[in-house]
Amino acid sequence: MDDIEAELKIDSPGNETTNQEIIKNPLHIEAPSKYYETGFHRSSRKCLKVIRDAMLHHNWQKAAEYFTSYIQTLEDTTVTSAHLTRDVIWRLGAEILHHLANASIDDFNAVYEIMKHAGVSNYAKICLEHAFHLLLNGQSDEAKRQLSSASHWRYGKLTDAQSLEMKLIHAYCGFLDYFIWSNKISTTPETEDVSSLQEISMYFRQASVTLQEIITRPGIWDPFVLSYITMLEHNNSLDEALKVLQNYAYNKDFPSNPNAHVYLYQFLKRHNAPQSALISSLRILHSAVPSHKLMLEFCSLLLKKHQDTALKEALCACMDLLEFSSWKCDRDAWKCLLKILQRPKNEHNMVKEEWAVRRSLWMAFHFRPYIIKTESQKDVRLWRIKERVLKLLGEDLHIEDTRKSPSGQRDRHHNASEDNVDGDSRRGPARNSNSSFKRDESKAAREGNAAGLRDRLTDFTHRKRPINTLNSTGQLVPVGFIPDV
Amino acid sequence: MFHSKCCFWTTSAAGDQEEDGYSEPCAQCAAVDWGVSNEGQFFCKNCYNVTEKMREVTDEFTLYIKNSRISRIAKPMKTEKKCAREWMVCEGFQVVLKCQADALVSLGVCLQFKTEVLWNFWTRYLQNTRQAFVSNPISTVDQNSESESETESVVCSEYSFWNGAPSEAGEVKDSGSSTGGRSGSLDALSYSHRVDRKTYNVMTMPRTLALCYLALLWVREAITLADLLRLVKERHVPYLNIHDNFPEDMKLFGRDSLIFRVDSIPSYSTVHKEAVDLAQVMKLPAFPMVSQDCLLHPIPLTVRYLLESNLPDGLLVWVHKVIDEASMGDDSFLTFDPVKQKPALVCYDIQAAAVIIVTMKLLFKLDDRVEWTSSGKAASEKKKKVFNVERWYKVMQPAFERARQKMEREEARQLWKSHKPFITSLKDKSLVFKKRRVVNHLQHRFQKLTDSTPEQQCFTTTAFSSFHFHWGKEQGSDGPSLHQHRLHCTFKKKGVKRLTNRKYWHTVLSVCPPTCSNHFSEIEASLPRMYVWLLDLFSFLLGVSQAQVHKEVLNVERCLMERELLSVSKETPSPKKRTKKPRKI
Repeated sequence: MDDIEAELKIDSPGNETTNQEIIKNPLHIEAPSKYYETGFHRSSRKCLKVIRDAMLHHNWQKAAEYFTSYIQTLEDTTVTSAHLTRDVIWRLGAEILHHLANASIDDFNAVYEIMKHAGVSNYAKICLEHAFHLLLNGQSDEAKRQLSSASHWRYGKLTDAQSLEMKLIHAYCGFLDYFIWSNKISTTPETEDVSSLQEISMYFRQASVTLQEIITRPGIWDPFVLSYITMLEHNNSLDEALKVLQNYAYNKDFPSNPNAHVYLYQFLKRHNAPQSALISSLRILHSAVPSHKLMLEFCSLLLKKHQDTALKEALCACMDLLEFSSWKCDRDAWKCLLKILQRPKNEHNMVKEEWAVRRSLWMAFHFRPYIIKTESQKDVRLWRIKERVLKLLGEDLHIEDTRKSPSGQRDRHHNASEDNVDGDSRRGPARNSNSSFKRDESKAAREGNAAGLRDRLTDFTHRKRPINTLNSTGQLVPVGFIPDV
Repeated sequence: MFHSKCCFWTTSAAGDQEEDGYSEPCAQCAAVDWGVSNEGQFFCKNCYNVTEKMREVTDEFTLYIKNSRISRIAKPMKTEKKCAREWMVCEGFQVVLKCQADALVSLGVCLQFKTEVLWNFWTRYLQNTRQAFVSNPISTVDQNSESESETESVVCSEYSFWNGAPSEAGEVKDSGSSTGGRSGSLDALSYSHRVDRKTYNVMTMPRTLALCYLALLWVREAITLADLLRLVKERHVPYLNIHDNFPEDMKLFGRDSLIFRVDSIPSYSTVHKEAVDLAQVMKLPAFPMVSQDCLLHPIPLTVRYLLESNLPDGLLVWVHKVIDEASMGDDSFLTFDPVKQKPALVCYDIQAAAVIIVTMKLLFKLDDRVEWTSSGKAASEKKKKVFNVERWYKVMQPAFERARQKMEREEARQLWKSHKPFITSLKDKSLVFKKRRVVNHLQHRFQKLTDSTPEQQCFTTTAFSSFHFHWGKEQGSDGPSLHQHRLHCTFKKKGVKRLTNRKYWHTVLSVCPPTCSNHFSEIEASLPRMYVWLLDLFSFLLGVSQAQVHKEVLNVERCLMERELLSVSKETPSPKKRTKKPRKI
């Protein structure tokens, strides 16, 4: 019924909507000064502005009313990028529907269905969103149906242009197969019914084939990998699962993904792998995300090894961990550090060296007078541990004395690092006075030197929400997206 | 009369609009694009190959014009039940004009407007542009073959249809769609492609309004141009999506959309300019006098705008004085005469508003100081019914703001697209219909969710009122009426009545060369806010820009100035004038 040629001409893959293009040619909301504007365009522009304002004020009823009038821009004959208009209508419509109290699931389905076919240049994307919406509403069967029909969609060149979305549709198809399979496995008890067993195995086959294929492509496939591993474990093919996880973690073609190492470690731990394997997997994770919560486990694993090098590694890992503000007041981490320091075989030199490097940062970060004061009042147990740690590190205990920093204990190396924190080595003798200490902090925060930078960056992790954090080399790495399966 | 002449095509039916001509492919170039020569033989318009085939032409309308030829033939398809017929672009405009005239008559304009004036104007226009009703009309059909354009001529009121055996209708259709430049009307291509549209003075959609306006002016109806444009905007006069009103058998297609599709309502200045141009093209004689009994005269018009803007009736006396002083009440000044060297068509409505503004400036100075302090004085006298500017502003401003917001809302929600979409080419046909379907579905969905009706329906269901505001104590009025308030702006000194406000300010009055654009945007920031607000108010009421009102205010001030200089040279100053003497601040 639809004229494919005409559609193709207009929606040639060359003008696929990208964010870049939207940035380059935004829909205008302010009046153009340079060129003549037709009445129709003026109406649309004003309408869009009202819709935007209404949406920003969460006045969804008003937004919907104006959106009803805005729909006519689809029929605009002068807009060169008709797909942009369709994109806007789709996004606005979906957003408004989400917030309308009286919108039923039928409305959603109808609107998605209409928009899917209005301009097929966005077909795959809208299909995916439709499926997600159905999943959110608990209609997984319907979502599965949508996705499998979408995966068979063919529209000449346009299908190729949306290959990424088609791949995702394929992947989610497999994922939903797995979902249905795991539901069936958990709900139906062990039956001898052949037909149900057949059905289960069919879902299993479909899901495993799709997932196996999808996770060999470079990318971040966390939920898909997890579900595939679950299936393989269910099938007792542990070697295969290990291979998959190792490929996912170590393959250079894949983007750096800390979760891959986490999954590998968890798998190894589940299946009682030797300590050395566990440690080596965590060591890589440590280099990628020193603030990961598995680092405590890493330390305890290292402590079991009773080697000097392992002890040093544990000390470094633990101190690294404590340098992140999200771990700053964690009692377990401090306990771990205390345990390391209390080791009888503890080489005095090793701790001294490590402490010398970190002292300036730690004194400012953990043992500032204000912090000590508040902690000694609020969290006494933590403060006790910290106190003991400080003692083991050879620093003075008393609050009064921490204000007057013991200058006699410093070596040259130490002074250099202190200067670094100061950012001003010319100040000379006044450096060690109480006032200079305070100035140090403010300066450090202002000038972005080691302590300040670390502090500010660790604020990210402190907020719990963010997915990105810095690894030791200063690169941004995604962390913590562990979906619930 | 108009009816009897223009209905001829509505009653007759024939032809097909998309596939025309003798449908055998040409032996030489295989194109299907036939014309008929003077001898009645078919010739291929592509390669000028003349066939043996002869056509007998039936011509119903040779009674009207002797020297006429048929340039194309139409052949209805056997399968098609609905009869579509051939038509020319100017016929289309005739339909547009007829619809607009009908709407205006139903709104209360005298019938004479439609039956005599507009029809005469229209025939006059066609004659003067040599499109029809002349012995040697310009062909608008053939552009490809220059040799034919002289011998062949087409008159809009003539067409021929002819029922022949259809053959290979499908092929015709295909070739028609591939050429791309097809249209429902016969001459849309040449109409829209004409390089020198100006010299040919082809009809355009804004010009239909200009023509209506001229006709309204001729019959001295009380509809100003601003009113006409508002009627158009609120859809009481058809203009948007005019093709909905076309008769069934006139199919619009392809290039017709370039001519008849409307995506803006023309501005006041555009239509005004077009009206002056058209009057010259039509070589119209001087228009009927605009005298005091005509509602376009500034005195009745100012009454209307005073009522609208809730100003006291007492102001009218002063308005009259200004009109007299500026000698703007003269018939010769107000009457439009296209025969003159430089014909000037007075913008009656803007001028009336400008007169009111000048009067306000005269009485209250409007320099952001005097009008507030003098109104304070009036209030302190504790006479309840004394007009004061501050109170007026307080009543007016919220109502104005409401009206403006309402206008914005209506503009944002205005529907522009018709239920009957334009089809620009056969290839796009399905796509256009699909878009229409999508829009319909979506609108239906969201309307159900919001229980809202589109603005278009609101417009047409509400009755038209030429007033934006209603003042009085009734329910739904915009505020209390100040019409009965007394003006208190004179005092007596030595037996001579003088204005309390002794000074008058104005901007530079020297006339700019015509190439100069208006300077309003440059000086806007330096003008008193009260004056700008007043400009704002009247420009909103009239639907024009502030700059236009300001320009008209300057015109009125210039008229006053000229009279002043004249009277000074004659040395007969009246005592009244002294108080009015414009002084620059």
